[in-house]
Amino acid sequence: MTSLLDASTLAAICVMAVTTLFNRTAGFMVMRFIPLTPRVRRILECLPGAVIVAIVAPTAAHGDLAMAAGLVAALAAAKFLKSDFFAVIGAVVVTAGLRYVGF
Amino acid sequence: MDAPSPTAVRFTREAFLAGARVMVPLMPGMLLFGLAFGAASAQKGFSWLETALSSGLVFAGLAQMVALEGWQAQWTVPSLLALAVLTFTVNMRHLLMAASMRPWLSELPAWKSYPSLFLLADNNWAATMRYYSQGGRDAAFFVGSGSFTWLMWVLSTVAGQVLGGGLPDPKAVAIDVVVPAFFIAMLVPNWKGRREVVGWGVAAAVSVAASYLVPGWWFIFIGAVSGAIAGGFTDD
Repeated sequence: MTSLLDASTLAAICVMAVTTLFNRTAGFMVMRFIPLTPRVRRILECLPGAVIVAIVAPTAAHGDLAMAAGLVAALAAAKFLKSDFFAVIGAVVVTAGLRYVGF
Repeated sequence: MDAPSPTAVRFTREAFLAGARVMVPLMPGMLLFGLAFGAASAQKGFSWLETALSSGLVFAGLAQMVALEGWQAQWTVPSLLALAVLTFTVNMRHLLMAASMRPWLSELPAWKSYPSLFLLADNNWAATMRYYSQGGRDAAFFVGSGSFTWLMWVLSTVAGQVLGGGLPDPKAVAIDVVVPAFFIAMLVPNWKGRREVVGWGVAAAVSVAASYLVPGWWFIFIGAVSGAIAGGFTDD
């Protein structure tokens, strides 16, 4: 525990590193063998939005009301102010504020 | 949208910096999350070097955090296998993210595309896909946003390991809302019409249902694939 680099810990880190590298490259590699027909291209075009929604929607569903309100604020800021900065800051201020007052 | 020809994949310094710049709104949130992981890793007995290696080589905050909860003092072959399976399922979404970059990055030689993919992380991928959907084709944008994220992650986690505890409660300062809010900002300009209604609606419904019904992290993969197929078969 006091050593700078423990062999067992290093082995576990390496296992995780190889696994994450596989996750990062395998999807790209597999698509090499799937012809990019117009239909496949369309599915791939829809994929980024679908991935983002599939991460955000369950997060919101399992989160508290303050988080839901914060994400609505982010949506409004992104749509009307067209600013990433205000989307993030707005969500944080609304969520933290509501939690502070006890929601 | 008047997409430039697919052969127009470039790699410039300007796009590298533009990619790094787009990550700036996330800096405070990333910093606090990194400090929190670093502090938690110190509690599990990580040295600063072990924290740096974990962040630098694994470079996946969520997977690192989840793995840390079951971290062992002595790893055995079975527990290492279980760790690999856990890491794989938490990061399954990266399979889809990388697949979605195929039409673009396949224009690059493999010695450029595969090393670039090492830098694939949720936030810079989301920012890059918005850039791409708005007509951007310079691959340095992805590498720039990824390098910036990587550097921030390594530095902030090591700082957290060195400083230890004493951090604000992450929920009280709403750290948990930073990434979903950034994702929403990346998503909004992609809204074009009927295909998004169908694709995103299916992705939302299926992922939320799966998050209650299927144990573990499958809900992202299941929801995203369902949504992409539904959207891809919606003809406008």
